[in-house]
Amino acid sequence: MENIKLIVNFLGQLLPAINITLIVSLSSIILGSLLGLLLAAARLSQSVILRVLASIYVSVIRATPSIIMIFLVYYGMPLLFNGWFHTNIDGWNRMYFVIIALTLLFSAPVSEIMRSAYESISKGQMEAGLLVGMSPFQTFYRIILPQAFVVALPNFANSVVNLLKEGALTFTIGVVDMVAKAQMIVANNSGGYAWQTYCALALIYWVISLAIDKGVSLVEKSYQKKRKTIAV
Amino acid sequence: MLTIEGLKKSYAGHDILKGISFNVNKGDVISIIGPSGSGKTTLLRTITTLEEADGGHISFAGIDNDFQKLNGKDINTIRRNVGFVFQNYNLFNNKTALQNITEGLIVARKVKKSEAKKIALEALERVGLTDRQNHYPSQLSGGQQQRVGIARAIALNPQVIFFDEPTSALDPELVGEVLKVMQDLANSGTTMVVVTHQMNFARDVSNRVIFMADGYIVEQGSPKKIFENPSEERTKKFLTDILSNV
Ligand SMILES: Nc1ncnc2c1ncn2[C@@H]1O[C@H](COP(=O)(O)OP(=O)(O)OP(=O)(O)O)[C@@H](O)[C@H]1O
Ligand SMILES: [Mg+2]
Repeated sequence: MENIKLIVNFLGQLLPAINITLIVSLSSIILGSLLGLLLAAARLSQSVILRVLASIYVSVIRATPSIIMIFLVYYGMPLLFNGWFHTNIDGWNRMYFVIIALTLLFSAPVSEIMRSAYESISKGQMEAGLLVGMSPFQTFYRIILPQAFVVALPNFANSVVNLLKEGALTFTIGVVDMVAKAQMIVANNSGGYAWQTYCALALIYWVISLAIDKGVSLVEKSYQKKRKTIAV
Repeated sequence: MLTIEGLKKSYAGHDILKGISFNVNKGDVISIIGPSGSGKTTLLRTITTLEEADGGHISFAGIDNDFQKLNGKDINTIRRNVGFVFQNYNLFNNKTALQNITEGLIVARKVKKSEAKKIALEALERVGLTDRQNHYPSQLSGGQQQRVGIARAIALNPQVIFFDEPTSALDPELVGEVLKVMQDLANSGTTMVVVTHQMNFARDVSNRVIFMADGYIVEQGSPKKIFENPSEERTKKFLTDILSNV
Protein backbone atom coordinates (compact mmCIF):
# COMPACT_ATOMS: atom_id res chain seq x y z
CA MET A 1 0.00 0.00 0.00
CA GLU A 2 2.79 2.32 1.01
CA ASN A 3 4.57 1.44 -2.24
CA ILE A 4 1.54 2.15 -4.37
CA LYS A 5 1.18 5.58 -2.79
CA LEU A 6 4.83 6.27 -3.49
CA ILE A 7 4.56 5.13 -7.07
CA VAL A 8 1.53 7.31 -7.65
CA ASN A 9 3.39 10.21 -6.12
CA PHE A 10 6.39 9.62 -8.39
CA LEU A 11 4.09 9.31 -11.39
CA GLY A 12 2.88 12.80 -10.61
CA GLN A 13 6.42 14.09 -10.55
CA LEU A 14 7.52 12.29 -13.71
CA LEU A 15 4.56 12.98 -15.96
CA PRO A 16 5.26 16.69 -16.57
CA ALA A 17 8.46 15.65 -18.35
CA ILE A 18 6.49 13.42 -20.73
CA ASN A 19 6.19 16.23 -23.24
CA ILE A 20 9.95 16.03 -23.91
CA THR A 21 9.57 12.31 -24.63
CA LEU A 22 6.57 12.95 -26.85
CA ILE A 23 8.19 15.79 -28.77
CA VAL A 24 11.35 13.78 -29.33
CA SER A 25 9.45 10.65 -30.37
CA LEU A 26 6.90 12.34 -32.61
CA SER A 27 9.51 14.45 -34.40
CA SER A 28 11.73 11.42 -34.95
CA ILE A 29 8.79 9.35 -36.20
CA ILE A 30 7.75 11.99 -38.71
CA LEU A 31 11.26 12.86 -39.92
CA GLY A 32 12.37 9.23 -39.82
CA SER A 33 9.36 8.14 -41.86
CA LEU A 34 10.09 10.77 -44.49
CA LEU A 35 13.72 9.73 -44.66
CA GLY A 36 12.61 6.08 -44.69
CA LEU A 37 10.31 6.83 -47.61
CA LEU A 38 13.18 8.38 -49.57
CA LEU A 39 15.38 5.40 -48.75
CA ALA A 40 12.69 2.95 -49.81
CA ALA A 41 12.26 4.86 -53.07
CA ALA A 42 16.04 4.74 -53.56
CA ARG A 43 16.11 0.99 -52.96
CA LEU A 44 13.32 0.47 -55.46
CA SER A 45 14.78 2.83 -58.05
CA GLN A 46 16.35 1.96 -61.40
CA SER A 47 19.68 3.47 -60.42
CA VAL A 48 22.22 0.95 -59.19
CA ILE A 49 24.15 3.65 -57.35
CA LEU A 50 21.10 4.79 -55.40
CA ARG A 51 20.17 1.21 -54.55
CA VAL A 52 23.67 0.37 -53.30
CA LEU A 53 24.04 3.59 -51.32
CA ALA A 54 20.68 3.14 -49.66
CA SER A 55 21.34 -0.45 -48.76
CA ILE A 56 24.78 0.37 -47.30
CA TYR A 57 23.18 3.15 -45.27
CA VAL A 58 20.52 0.80 -43.94
CA SER A 59 23.03 -1.88 -42.94
CA VAL A 60 25.30 0.61 -41.21
CA ILE A 61 22.49 2.27 -39.28
CA ARG A 62 21.04 -1.08 -38.25
CA ALA A 63 24.39 -2.14 -36.84
CA THR A 64 24.79 1.02 -34.76
CA PRO A 65 23.63 0.75 -31.12
CA SER A 66 21.28 3.59 -30.22
CA ILE A 67 23.45 4.99 -27.47
CA ILE A 68 26.46 5.14 -29.77
CA MET A 69 24.38 6.84 -32.44
CA ILE A 70 23.27 9.49 -29.97
CA PHE A 71 26.86 10.16 -28.91
CA LEU A 72 28.09 10.15 -32.50
CA VAL A 73 25.54 12.78 -33.47
CA TYR A 74 26.01 14.81 -30.30
CA TYR A 75 29.81 14.95 -30.50
CA GLY A 76 30.25 14.54 -34.24
CA MET A 77 27.79 17.02 -35.70
CA PRO A 78 29.30 20.15 -34.13
CA LEU A 79 32.69 19.14 -35.55
CA LEU A 80 31.14 18.50 -38.93
CA PHE A 81 29.32 21.84 -38.97
CA ASN A 82 32.45 23.65 -37.86
CA GLY A 83 34.61 22.00 -40.46
CA TRP A 84 32.25 22.17 -43.43
CA PHE A 85 30.02 25.15 -42.90
CA HIS A 86 32.06 27.10 -40.36
CA THR A 87 28.97 27.29 -38.20
CA ASN A 88 28.93 26.83 -34.49
CA ILE A 89 26.05 24.67 -33.35
CA ASP A 90 27.16 24.18 -29.77
CA GLY A 91 24.29 26.36 -28.65
CA TRP A 92 21.66 24.09 -30.18
CA ASN A 93 19.01 22.67 -27.93
CA ARG A 94 20.33 19.21 -27.05
CA MET A 95 16.96 17.74 -27.90
CA TYR A 96 17.73 18.39 -31.58
CA PHE A 97 20.69 16.03 -31.43
CA VAL A 98 18.55 13.26 -30.00
CA ILE A 99 15.89 13.86 -32.63
CA ILE A 100 18.50 13.65 -35.38
CA ALA A 101 20.01 10.48 -33.94
CA LEU A 102 16.62 8.81 -33.53
CA THR A 103 15.54 9.94 -36.99
CA LEU A 104 18.58 8.22 -38.47
CA LEU A 105 17.92 5.10 -36.39
CA PHE A 106 14.23 4.99 -37.23
CA SER A 107 14.67 5.56 -40.96
CA ALA A 108 16.46 2.25 -41.51
CA PRO A 109 13.84 -0.25 -40.31
CA VAL A 110 11.06 1.95 -41.65
CA SER A 111 12.56 2.02 -45.12
CA GLU A 112 12.70 -1.77 -45.09
CA ILE A 113 9.10 -2.00 -43.89
CA MET A 114 7.91 0.38 -46.59
CA ARG A 115 9.88 -1.38 -49.29
CA SER A 116 8.62 -4.84 -48.45
CA ALA A 117 5.04 -3.59 -48.04
CA TYR A 118 5.26 -1.99 -51.47
CA GLU A 119 6.71 -5.13 -52.99
CA SER A 120 4.00 -7.27 -51.42
CA ILE A 121 1.39 -5.50 -53.54
CA SER A 122 1.41 -7.13 -56.95
CA LYS A 123 2.96 -5.13 -59.77
CA GLY A 124 0.00 -6.21 -61.89
CA GLN A 125 -2.31 -3.78 -60.11
CA MET A 126 -0.05 -0.93 -61.14
CA GLU A 127 -0.21 -2.14 -64.75
CA ALA A 128 -3.98 -2.50 -64.55
CA GLY A 129 -4.17 1.08 -63.29
CA LEU A 130 -2.06 2.35 -66.18
CA LEU A 131 -4.22 0.52 -68.70
CA VAL A 132 -7.45 2.01 -67.38
CA GLY A 133 -5.79 5.35 -68.07
CA MET A 134 -4.62 6.37 -64.62
CA SER A 135 -1.17 7.91 -64.17
CA PRO A 136 1.51 6.03 -62.22
CA PHE A 137 1.06 8.48 -59.34
CA GLN A 138 -2.73 8.14 -59.32
CA THR A 139 -2.42 4.37 -59.30
CA PHE A 140 0.18 4.46 -56.56
CA TYR A 141 -1.82 6.82 -54.41
CA ARG A 142 -5.26 5.27 -54.88
CA ILE A 143 -4.48 1.57 -55.29
CA ILE A 144 -1.01 0.59 -54.09
CA LEU A 145 -0.53 2.89 -51.10
CA PRO A 146 -3.74 2.03 -49.21
CA GLN A 147 -2.90 -1.67 -49.47
CA ALA A 148 0.76 -1.23 -48.60
CA PHE A 149 -0.28 0.86 -45.60
CA VAL A 150 -2.31 -1.99 -44.14
CA VAL A 151 0.54 -4.42 -44.75
CA ALA A 152 3.10 -2.11 -43.16
CA LEU A 153 1.06 -1.08 -40.16
CA PRO A 154 1.92 -3.83 -37.61
CA ASN A 155 5.65 -3.68 -38.31
CA PHE A 156 5.58 0.08 -38.35
CA ALA A 157 3.93 0.13 -34.93
CA ASN A 158 6.58 -2.27 -33.71
CA SER A 159 9.31 0.10 -34.85
CA VAL A 160 7.56 3.01 -33.18
CA VAL A 161 7.57 1.15 -29.87
CA ASN A 162 11.28 0.41 -30.34
CA LEU A 163 11.93 4.05 -31.06
CA LEU A 164 10.08 5.03 -27.91
CA LYS A 165 12.32 2.74 -25.89
CA GLU A 166 15.49 3.97 -27.57
CA GLY A 167 14.29 7.47 -26.75
CA ALA A 168 14.77 6.58 -23.08
CA LEU A 169 18.47 7.21 -23.75
CA THR A 170 17.76 10.88 -24.33
CA PHE A 171 19.00 11.71 -20.84
CA THR A 172 22.53 10.53 -21.71
CA ILE A 173 23.37 13.85 -23.33
CA GLY A 174 21.72 15.89 -20.62
CA VAL A 175 18.18 16.46 -21.85
CA VAL A 176 15.80 16.45 -18.91
CA ASP A 177 13.24 13.90 -20.01
CA MET A 178 11.34 11.48 -17.80
CA VAL A 179 14.35 9.24 -17.28
CA ALA A 180 16.54 12.17 -16.22
CA LYS A 181 13.74 13.30 -13.96
CA ALA A 182 13.62 9.87 -12.36
CA GLN A 183 17.35 9.99 -11.72
CA MET A 184 16.97 13.37 -10.05
CA ILE A 185 14.17 12.11 -7.85
CA VAL A 186 16.29 9.17 -6.73
CA ALA A 187 19.24 11.49 -6.09
CA ASN A 188 17.05 13.87 -4.10
CA ASN A 189 15.96 10.95 -1.95
CA SER A 190 19.62 10.07 -1.43
CA GLY A 191 19.21 6.90 -3.42
CA GLY A 192 16.05 5.89 -1.62
CA TYR A 193 12.83 4.63 -3.23
CA ALA A 194 14.77 3.91 -6.40
CA TRP A 195 12.72 0.92 -7.50
CA GLN A 196 9.41 2.66 -6.85
CA THR A 197 10.61 5.57 -8.95
CA TYR A 198 11.62 3.40 -11.87
CA CYS A 199 8.50 1.35 -11.49
CA ALA A 200 6.49 4.52 -12.03
CA LEU A 201 8.62 5.27 -15.08
CA ALA A 202 8.14 1.78 -16.50
CA LEU A 203 4.38 2.12 -16.03
CA ILE A 204 4.35 5.22 -18.21
CA TYR A 205 6.24 3.44 -21.00
CA TRP A 206 3.93 0.43 -20.75
CA VAL A 207 0.84 2.57 -21.08
CA ILE A 208 2.20 4.40 -24.13
CA SER A 209 3.21 1.13 -25.82
CA LEU A 210 -0.13 -0.47 -25.05
CA ALA A 211 -1.91 2.56 -26.46
CA ILE A 212 0.08 2.29 -29.69
CA ASP A 213 -0.70 -1.42 -30.03
CA LYS A 214 -4.34 -0.86 -29.28
CA GLY A 215 -4.55 1.99 -31.77
CA VAL A 216 -3.01 -0.15 -34.49
CA SER A 217 -5.30 -3.09 -33.91
CA LEU A 218 -8.29 -0.76 -34.00
CA VAL A 219 -7.20 0.60 -37.37
CA GLU A 220 -6.60 -2.94 -38.66
CA LYS A 221 -10.00 -4.09 -37.43
CA SER A 222 -11.75 -1.21 -39.07
CA TYR A 223 -10.14 -2.16 -42.37
CA GLN A 224 -11.23 -5.76 -42.04
CA LYS A 225 -14.70 -4.79 -40.93
CA LYS A 226 -15.12 -2.47 -43.88
CA ARG A 227 -14.51 -5.41 -46.20
CA LYS A 228 -16.85 -7.74 -44.33
CA THR A 229 -19.86 -5.50 -43.89
CA ILE A 230 -20.08 -4.16 -47.40
CA ALA A 231 -20.39 -7.54 -49.03
CA VAL A 232 -23.32 -9.44 -47.66
CA MET B 1 -7.55 0.35 -87.15
CA LEU B 2 -4.40 -0.97 -85.49
CA THR B 3 -1.34 -1.77 -87.55
CA ILE B 4 1.91 -3.11 -86.17
CA GLU B 5 4.99 -3.39 -88.35
CA GLY B 6 8.33 -4.99 -87.60
CA LEU B 7 7.86 -5.02 -83.84
CA LYS B 8 11.05 -6.10 -82.05
CA LYS B 9 11.78 -6.71 -78.41
CA SER B 10 14.67 -8.28 -76.59
CA TYR B 11 15.41 -8.91 -72.94
CA ALA B 12 19.07 -8.71 -71.96
CA GLY B 13 20.32 -9.37 -75.47
CA HIS B 14 17.85 -12.19 -75.95
CA ASP B 15 15.55 -11.59 -78.94
CA ILE B 16 11.96 -12.37 -77.94
CA LEU B 17 10.03 -10.62 -80.71
CA LYS B 18 11.89 -10.71 -84.01
CA GLY B 19 9.81 -8.46 -86.22
CA ILE B 20 6.09 -8.91 -85.81
CA SER B 21 3.66 -7.39 -88.28
CA PHE B 22 -0.08 -7.66 -88.27
CA ASN B 23 -3.15 -5.52 -88.36
CA VAL B 24 -6.45 -5.45 -86.55
CA ASN B 25 -9.62 -4.24 -88.20
CA LYS B 26 -12.66 -2.98 -86.40
CA GLY B 27 -14.79 -5.89 -85.21
CA ASP B 28 -11.98 -8.41 -85.57
CA VAL B 29 -11.70 -11.21 -83.07
CA ILE B 30 -8.13 -12.43 -83.41
CA SER B 31 -6.78 -15.42 -81.55
CA ILE B 32 -3.05 -15.67 -81.02
CA ILE B 33 -1.85 -19.20 -80.40
CA GLY B 34 1.60 -20.69 -80.05
CA PRO B 35 3.89 -22.62 -77.77
CA SER B 36 4.89 -21.38 -74.35
CA GLY B 37 7.71 -18.85 -74.51
CA SER B 38 7.00 -17.86 -78.09
CA GLY B 39 6.49 -14.22 -77.08
CA LYS B 40 2.70 -13.89 -77.03
CA THR B 41 2.52 -12.09 -73.69
CA THR B 42 5.48 -9.92 -74.64
CA LEU B 43 3.70 -8.97 -77.86
CA LEU B 44 0.58 -7.75 -76.03
CA ARG B 45 2.67 -5.96 -73.40
CA THR B 46 4.79 -4.07 -75.92
CA ILE B 47 1.78 -3.00 -78.01
CA THR B 48 0.04 -1.70 -74.90
CA THR B 49 3.25 0.09 -73.77
CA LEU B 50 3.69 -1.94 -70.59
CA GLU B 51 7.07 -2.86 -72.06
CA GLU B 52 9.23 -0.69 -74.27
CA ALA B 53 9.71 -2.05 -77.76
CA ASP B 54 13.17 -2.01 -79.33
CA GLY B 55 11.93 -1.38 -82.83
CA GLY B 56 8.89 -1.32 -85.05
CA HIS B 57 6.04 0.93 -86.04
CA ILE B 58 2.52 1.44 -84.77
CA SER B 59 -0.43 3.21 -86.28
CA PHE B 60 -3.37 3.44 -83.97
CA ALA B 61 -5.74 6.05 -82.56
CA GLY B 62 -4.25 8.85 -84.63
CA ILE B 63 -0.68 7.84 -83.90
CA ASP B 64 1.55 6.83 -86.78
CA ASN B 65 5.02 6.48 -85.41
CA ASP B 66 7.95 4.26 -84.53
CA PHE B 67 7.60 2.63 -81.14
CA GLN B 68 10.84 4.17 -79.99
CA LYS B 69 9.70 7.66 -80.92
CA LEU B 70 6.49 7.54 -78.88
CA ASN B 71 6.35 10.37 -76.38
CA GLY B 72 4.43 10.51 -73.11
CA LYS B 73 1.36 11.87 -74.83
CA ASP B 74 1.34 9.06 -77.42
CA ILE B 75 1.70 6.49 -74.67
CA ASN B 76 -1.27 7.97 -72.86
CA THR B 77 -3.28 7.92 -76.06
CA ILE B 78 -2.50 4.25 -76.60
CA ARG B 79 -3.34 3.37 -73.00
CA ARG B 80 -6.63 5.22 -73.24
CA ASN B 81 -7.68 3.38 -76.36
CA VAL B 82 -6.88 -0.17 -75.37
CA GLY B 83 -8.36 -2.48 -72.79
CA PHE B 84 -6.40 -5.27 -71.17
CA VAL B 85 -7.60 -8.42 -69.48
CA PHE B 86 -4.82 -10.08 -67.53
CA GLN B 87 -4.15 -13.76 -67.00
CA ASN B 88 -4.28 -13.27 -63.23
CA TYR B 89 -7.05 -10.64 -63.30
CA ASN B 90 -5.06 -7.88 -61.50
CA LEU B 91 -8.15 -6.41 -59.94
CA PHE B 92 -7.64 -3.56 -57.49
CA ASN B 93 -7.82 -5.47 -54.23
CA ASN B 94 -8.80 -2.46 -52.13
CA LYS B 95 -11.82 -1.72 -54.31
CA THR B 96 -15.15 -3.45 -54.73
CA ALA B 97 -16.19 -4.98 -58.03
CA LEU B 98 -18.12 -1.82 -58.85
CA GLN B 99 -15.28 0.48 -57.79
CA ASN B 100 -12.82 -1.53 -59.88
CA ILE B 101 -14.83 -0.41 -62.88
CA THR B 102 -15.65 3.16 -61.86
CA GLU B 103 -12.04 3.92 -60.83
CA GLY B 104 -10.71 4.42 -64.36
CA LEU B 105 -13.87 6.23 -65.46
CA ILE B 106 -13.79 8.71 -62.59
CA VAL B 107 -10.06 9.20 -62.10
CA ALA B 108 -8.76 8.94 -65.65
CA ARG B 109 -11.76 9.83 -67.80
CA LYS B 110 -13.20 12.42 -65.41
CA VAL B 111 -16.69 10.96 -65.80
CA LYS B 112 -19.16 12.16 -63.16
CA LYS B 113 -19.61 9.70 -60.29
CA SER B 114 -23.28 9.00 -60.94
CA GLU B 115 -22.63 8.53 -64.63
CA ALA B 116 -19.63 6.26 -63.92
CA LYS B 117 -21.74 4.11 -61.64
CA LYS B 118 -24.38 3.76 -64.33
CA ILE B 119 -21.77 2.67 -66.89
CA ALA B 120 -20.19 0.28 -64.41
CA LEU B 121 -23.52 -1.35 -63.56
CA GLU B 122 -24.22 -1.86 -67.24
CA ALA B 123 -20.82 -3.50 -67.64
CA LEU B 124 -21.42 -5.72 -64.62
CA GLU B 125 -24.73 -6.73 -66.05
CA ARG B 126 -23.10 -7.77 -69.31
CA VAL B 127 -20.81 -10.13 -67.39
CA GLY B 128 -23.65 -11.29 -65.14
CA LEU B 129 -22.34 -9.96 -61.85
CA THR B 130 -24.81 -7.27 -60.84
CA ASP B 131 -25.40 -9.06 -57.55
CA ARG B 132 -21.68 -9.05 -56.73
CA GLN B 133 -21.10 -5.33 -57.22
CA ASN B 134 -20.15 -4.67 -53.59
CA HIS B 135 -17.87 -7.65 -53.17
CA TYR B 136 -14.14 -7.23 -52.86
CA PRO B 137 -11.93 -9.32 -55.17
CA SER B 138 -10.96 -11.57 -52.26
CA GLN B 139 -14.64 -12.47 -51.92
CA LEU B 140 -15.04 -13.52 -55.55
CA SER B 141 -14.18 -16.75 -57.31
CA GLY B 142 -11.52 -16.69 -60.01
CA GLY B 143 -14.12 -16.80 -62.73
CA GLN B 144 -16.03 -13.92 -61.16
CA GLN B 145 -12.83 -11.92 -60.74
CA GLN B 146 -11.97 -12.40 -64.36
CA ARG B 147 -15.46 -11.32 -65.38
CA VAL B 148 -15.00 -8.15 -63.33
CA GLY B 149 -11.68 -7.73 -65.15
CA ILE B 150 -13.54 -7.94 -68.44
CA ALA B 151 -16.23 -5.53 -67.25
CA ARG B 152 -13.50 -3.10 -66.20
CA ALA B 153 -12.10 -3.20 -69.71
CA ILE B 154 -15.37 -2.86 -71.63
CA ALA B 155 -16.69 -0.03 -69.45
CA LEU B 156 -13.99 2.23 -70.86
CA ASN B 157 -15.20 1.43 -74.36
CA PRO B 158 -11.71 1.00 -75.84
CA GLN B 159 -11.09 0.51 -79.55
CA VAL B 160 -9.59 -2.91 -78.94
CA ILE B 161 -9.36 -5.21 -75.94
CA PHE B 162 -6.34 -7.45 -75.45
CA PHE B 163 -6.78 -10.67 -73.50
CA ASP B 164 -3.72 -12.55 -72.23
CA GLU B 165 -4.77 -16.12 -71.57
CA PRO B 166 -7.84 -14.99 -69.65
CA THR B 167 -8.80 -18.50 -68.58
CA SER B 168 -5.39 -20.04 -67.87
CA ALA B 169 -5.41 -19.28 -64.15
CA LEU B 170 -8.91 -20.67 -63.67
CA ASP B 171 -10.08 -24.00 -62.34
CA PRO B 172 -11.48 -25.98 -65.28
CA GLU B 173 -15.07 -25.68 -64.09
CA LEU B 174 -14.82 -21.87 -64.14
CA VAL B 175 -13.41 -21.55 -67.65
CA GLY B 176 -16.83 -21.83 -69.29
CA GLU B 177 -18.40 -18.79 -67.67
CA VAL B 178 -15.54 -16.57 -68.80
CA LEU B 179 -15.48 -17.93 -72.34
CA LYS B 180 -19.22 -17.39 -72.53
CA VAL B 181 -18.80 -13.71 -71.65
CA MET B 182 -16.04 -13.37 -74.24
CA GLN B 183 -18.18 -15.01 -76.86
CA ASP B 184 -21.00 -12.56 -76.11
CA LEU B 185 -18.57 -9.68 -76.49
CA ALA B 186 -17.36 -11.05 -79.81
CA ASN B 187 -20.92 -11.43 -81.03
CA SER B 188 -21.71 -7.84 -80.13
CA GLY B 189 -18.89 -6.58 -82.34
CA THR B 190 -16.16 -5.87 -79.78
CA THR B 191 -12.70 -5.78 -81.33
CA MET B 192 -10.62 -8.36 -79.50
CA VAL B 193 -7.10 -9.78 -79.61
CA VAL B 194 -6.98 -12.92 -77.53
CA VAL B 195 -3.92 -14.94 -76.58
CA THR B 196 -5.34 -18.32 -75.75
CA HIS B 197 -4.71 -22.01 -75.35
CA GLN B 198 -8.46 -22.64 -75.76
CA MET B 199 -8.48 -24.06 -79.26
CA ASN B 200 -12.27 -24.20 -79.31
CA PHE B 201 -12.44 -20.47 -78.80
CA ALA B 202 -9.83 -19.85 -81.48
CA ARG B 203 -11.66 -22.08 -83.94
CA ASP B 204 -15.26 -21.19 -83.20
CA VAL B 205 -15.26 -17.56 -82.10
CA SER B 206 -12.41 -15.76 -83.80
CA ASN B 207 -12.35 -14.64 -87.40
CA ARG B 208 -8.58 -14.81 -87.64
CA VAL B 209 -5.94 -16.97 -86.00
CA ILE B 210 -2.29 -15.99 -85.64
CA PHE B 211 0.20 -18.75 -84.93
CA MET B 212 3.38 -17.54 -83.24
CA ALA B 213 6.58 -19.40 -82.52
CA ASP B 214 10.05 -18.22 -81.51
CA GLY B 215 9.22 -14.56 -81.77
CA TYR B 216 7.81 -14.76 -85.30
CA ILE B 217 4.34 -14.98 -86.72
CA VAL B 218 4.60 -18.30 -88.49
CA GLU B 219 1.29 -17.98 -90.24
CA GLN B 220 -2.10 -16.41 -89.92
CA GLY B 221 -5.46 -16.87 -91.54
CA SER B 222 -9.04 -17.84 -90.99
CA PRO B 223 -9.66 -20.48 -88.32
CA LYS B 224 -10.72 -22.85 -91.06
CA LYS B 225 -7.46 -22.38 -92.89
CA ILE B 226 -5.23 -22.66 -89.81
CA PHE B 227 -7.01 -25.61 -88.22
CA GLU B 228 -7.91 -27.58 -91.31
CA ASN B 229 -5.24 -26.72 -93.79
CA PRO B 230 -2.17 -25.10 -92.24
CA SER B 231 0.62 -24.41 -94.70
CA GLU B 232 3.51 -24.50 -92.26
CA GLU B 233 5.00 -27.62 -90.76
CA ARG B 234 5.35 -25.92 -87.34
CA THR B 235 1.68 -25.04 -87.23
CA LYS B 236 0.71 -28.60 -88.05
CA LYS B 237 2.97 -30.00 -85.37
CA PHE B 238 1.75 -27.53 -82.74
CA LEU B 239 -1.89 -28.26 -83.49
CA THR B 240 -1.41 -32.01 -83.52
CA ASP B 241 0.40 -31.85 -80.19
CA ILE B 242 -2.09 -29.59 -78.49
CA LEU B 243 -5.20 -31.25 -79.87
CA SER B 244 -4.00 -34.73 -79.01
CA ASN B 245 -3.48 -33.56 -75.46
CA VAL B 246 -7.10 -32.66 -74.97
N1 LIG C 1 10.65 -9.37 -68.05
C1 LIG C 1 11.35 -10.32 -68.70
N2 LIG C 1 12.70 -10.39 -68.55
C2 LIG C 1 13.41 -11.32 -69.20
N3 LIG C 1 12.87 -12.24 -70.03
C3 LIG C 1 11.55 -12.23 -70.21
C4 LIG C 1 10.71 -11.27 -69.54
N4 LIG C 1 9.43 -11.50 -69.92
C5 LIG C 1 9.47 -12.54 -70.76
N5 LIG C 1 10.72 -13.00 -70.94
C6 LIG C 1 11.13 -14.11 -71.81
O1 LIG C 1 10.57 -13.89 -73.06
C7 LIG C 1 10.15 -15.12 -73.64
C8 LIG C 1 8.74 -15.00 -74.11
O2 LIG C 1 7.91 -14.83 -73.00
P1 LIG C 1 6.35 -14.61 -73.12
O3 LIG C 1 5.83 -14.50 -71.74
O4 LIG C 1 6.07 -13.49 -74.03
O5 LIG C 1 5.88 -15.97 -73.77
P2 LIG C 1 4.41 -16.51 -74.00
O6 LIG C 1 4.31 -16.83 -75.42
O7 LIG C 1 3.43 -15.54 -73.43
O8 LIG C 1 4.42 -17.84 -73.15
P3 LIG C 1 3.24 -18.52 -72.29
O9 LIG C 1 2.39 -19.26 -73.27
O10 LIG C 1 3.97 -19.45 -71.40
O11 LIG C 1 2.53 -17.43 -71.56
C9 LIG C 1 10.36 -16.19 -72.60
O12 LIG C 1 11.53 -16.91 -72.92
C10 LIG C 1 10.56 -15.42 -71.33
O13 LIG C 1 11.45 -16.10 -70.48
MG1 LIG D 1 2.06 -15.60 -71.82
